[in-house]
Amino acid sequence: MSVVASQLHREDSTCKPCRSCKWQIPDPTDPNSGQCTANRTEAGAVWKRWIRDVMNMTCTRHEEGKLSFREHV
Amino acid sequence: MTTVTSIDHKGKKIEFFPENEAEQDIPDDELHEHLARPSTERTRRLKARCRWKHASAGEFVEKGVSAGIERMRLITEAHKANDGKPEVIRRALGLKHILDNMTLVIQEDEFIVGYHAEDPNKFPLYPELSYMAVQDYLISDYAPQPVKEASEINDYWKPHSLQSKCQEYFDPVDLTRMYQVSTMEGPSFASGYNSLIPPYETVLEDGLLTRIKLAEENVSNAYKQMEKLPWDGTTGLEWLDKIDNWKAMIITCKAVISWARRYSRLCHIVAEHYETDLKRREELMEIADICYRVPAEPCRGLKDAFQAKWFTFLVCHAIDRYASGFAQLEDRLLWPYYHKSVVEKSFQPMEFEEVVELVEMERLKISEHGAGKSRAYREIFPGSNDLFILTLGGTNGDGSDACTDMTDAILEAARNIRTTEPSIVFRYSSVNRNKTLRLVFECIRDGLGYPSIKHDERGVKQMLDYGKFSLNGNGATQEEAHSWANVLCMSPGLTGRRKSQKTRSEGGGALFPAKLLEIALNNGYDWSYSDMQLGPETGDPRNFDKFEDLWEAFRKQYAYAISLCIRCKDVSRHMEGKFLQQPFVSAIDDGCMELGVDAVVLSEQPNGWHNPITSIVAANSLVALKKLVFEEKKYTMDQVCGALRANWEGYEEMRMDFKNAPKWGNDDDYADTLIKDFYEDILGGEMVKIRNYSGGPVLPVGQAVGLYMEVGTRTGPTPDGRFGGEVADDGGISPYMGTDKKGPTAVLKSVAKVQDNQKANLLNQRLSVSMIRSGYGFDIWKSYMQTWHDLNIDHVQFNVVSTDEMKAAQKEPEKHQDLIVRVSGYSARFVDIPTYGQNTIIARNEQEFSSEDLDFLNVEL
Repeated sequence: MSVVASQLHREDSTCKPCRSCKWQIPDPTDPNSGQCTANRTEAGAVWKRWIRDVMNMTCTRHEEGKLSFREHV
Repeated sequence: MTTVTSIDHKGKKIEFFPENEAEQDIPDDELHEHLARPSTERTRRLKARCRWKHASAGEFVEKGVSAGIERMRLITEAHKANDGKPEVIRRALGLKHILDNMTLVIQEDEFIVGYHAEDPNKFPLYPELSYMAVQDYLISDYAPQPVKEASEINDYWKPHSLQSKCQEYFDPVDLTRMYQVSTMEGPSFASGYNSLIPPYETVLEDGLLTRIKLAEENVSNAYKQMEKLPWDGTTGLEWLDKIDNWKAMIITCKAVISWARRYSRLCHIVAEHYETDLKRREELMEIADICYRVPAEPCRGLKDAFQAKWFTFLVCHAIDRYASGFAQLEDRLLWPYYHKSVVEKSFQPMEFEEVVELVEMERLKISEHGAGKSRAYREIFPGSNDLFILTLGGTNGDGSDACTDMTDAILEAARNIRTTEPSIVFRYSSVNRNKTLRLVFECIRDGLGYPSIKHDERGVKQMLDYGKFSLNGNGATQEEAHSWANVLCMSPGLTGRRKSQKTRSEGGGALFPAKLLEIALNNGYDWSYSDMQLGPETGDPRNFDKFEDLWEAFRKQYAYAISLCIRCKDVSRHMEGKFLQQPFVSAIDDGCMELGVDAVVLSEQPNGWHNPITSIVAANSLVALKKLVFEEKKYTMDQVCGALRANWEGYEEMRMDFKNAPKWGNDDDYADTLIKDFYEDILGGEMVKIRNYSGGPVLPVGQAVGLYMEVGTRTGPTPDGRFGGEVADDGGISPYMGTDKKGPTAVLKSVAKVQDNQKANLLNQRLSVSMIRSGYGFDIWKSYMQTWHDLNIDHVQFNVVSTDEMKAAQKEPEKHQDLIVRVSGYSARFVDIPTYGQNTIIARNEQEFSSEDLDFLNVEL
């Protein structure tokens, strides 16, 4: 199956891991997993995606940084 | 207030002017900034410098808050040093080592002293519970320092932790499903989250020296029993564990006394050598005297009682083990000491106003208390600290009104000081005195969101019903059943000298019907969040010919989830009994003391519950599917599945049909009949089939905390017309925000229809600010409450805050630090909630009472 770069995908030892991305916040239980919050609607909804492995997954929307708690859920 | 509402009622125009005329000059969008009135300069100062620890989206809002390393270092030293000793003794020595060596904290202006970490900006961690929860802290901005040492400590604990001990009894796939918190809350062994009701009564009434004496007598008697001739190994060996338990109780009680007396010495030292203010010096000497006497000795006055209670809280909820909650029947617990100090003035004499100040100071201690909770729980109470909730009011064992002047002092202090914690539950009964009800009303009117109101008689009956399942035939008596308090935000549990809840594996935890319905519509597969199979294969929904096929598919998903959740709790409790005993809690419980059994092992009063959260999104969706697909046949299941997969994009007309289908909360029998079945037959019906550790049934406690937001973001589009990622419903049985369009009494009529197989159900209501703050406000509210009571509804809580003020706070948060809102089961500082969550409060209908509503409530204006 081909990888769609704009979508969350596995890339071992990527230099742009989800962990360092501003749209990611950690999984509620397992710190090796995470939650992607990049998918936001105009009405203000945040539709999350689970990130199985925050060190080895990425996508083209990767942006270093951290959002304020006000912009998360 | 510039906005004045008016209605025509019984042929006359009723205008709702503010009861307090001075409010007419205050703009609507800043009202709440004018309502705080700390009763003394001291509490004003304490509030101004309070080190709040609100969390939101997993982050701490205030700067400088972080985890401390001291507790984790000390518990590790003790664990290593006591290898080979009986586990319960090892646990007791662990607590002793912490208490003997932890830093003492006394802050300026405090009268109630004691803290549970090395610095009031810090909070402890618990590597013996969940190694994942500590790992999360290690990679966060709040990591304990030095991180390397903390990391080594966590590595040491990994094989010994409760999480590791429990995990191996589960399929890793099941654990992955639970850890992501989309269909089910993660198990407590993976988060370390816990809750209990400490038996404060024995500490205040007996003092710990008496508890030590009792345990010593029991040990002595046990040896004598073992030495009896002839030896009988079938019964004689039972004494071994009991002896260990009693010895562990003695160790911990002595350690707690010693720790309190360290505080006493420190107060002496500060007073004698450092304090220059004469009045404060005198006060420090008084605190020193109190900490020397309590909790070692019985409390003699109200100051003793507040201090002994605080020490007990710290040990049970934060030092021995983390446990959320501040559960107690506080007015009844303190009333004997109020009587001695205020009525008799026989010890620590004081006036009512001084009691109010003491309560304000206790509220600020709780506001400052830091909870080392896992990320999951830093996400789900946004805008607040932790679920600190106490209970007031209700009735005595003979059915008489239990409200006292202590009740009033607690309410008055809460109204004055305006803090988000602790929240208050009021047990409403028809016999409650008007004076106290007025104070309950004033707290609600001023927008605190508490007290939340619980039906007193329902709680009493529930305690008696659960008591019938007691494994040792010692469930709640009639008298004891009247002493219930909420364990956390919604569920009643016994308070008192024995039989209270000691571990969350009895009650607590959640599962999420909205997400369960989503996967039932995808044969158990989750395409929208985790991209994995989250439940059993329950069939391709395109092949469902009749509504019952869908109904049963959902039931199977739900049954799988609830059994897994309760299995986790029981396995956790089993392991807690082996490795995480609570000898101090045992020492202050009469049952544990009498029987020589550890607090997490002994169960006298079953109280099993679990929380379905997001039920109304699922229920409204089922109503829409039944109507539009299976009855009117306007759409096929194939079309529904396609529209949902497209997040309704290209299906707007269809979405509006689903959005406009009958909704809960409008006294609409089409929706309500099916939703009643959903609650009673599936949510309650499947849960009640389960028997838990304690031998009793498990019942649903419909509530929501902030999980309605979290789960909303992890749930794709649903057939109630909701888009993927939109918030779910904000209460256990509350209408979905904005869909209750027939007024406040229609909501009550809908909610009253659900009665069977329920333990508790949270009802959020937002009431018109101008009506409630008017001169008619109290009469309307009182009539509303009596109607709510007569309809036999379990719970209700209120927001009385205007949209204008919330929107103003979104624009300029720094100007709205005192704006408090009720989220769900807890109150929060509005500006500390993420924007997503703030918008969910704004979206709730601000209910105005129409003439028809007032007629139904039978209120005369």
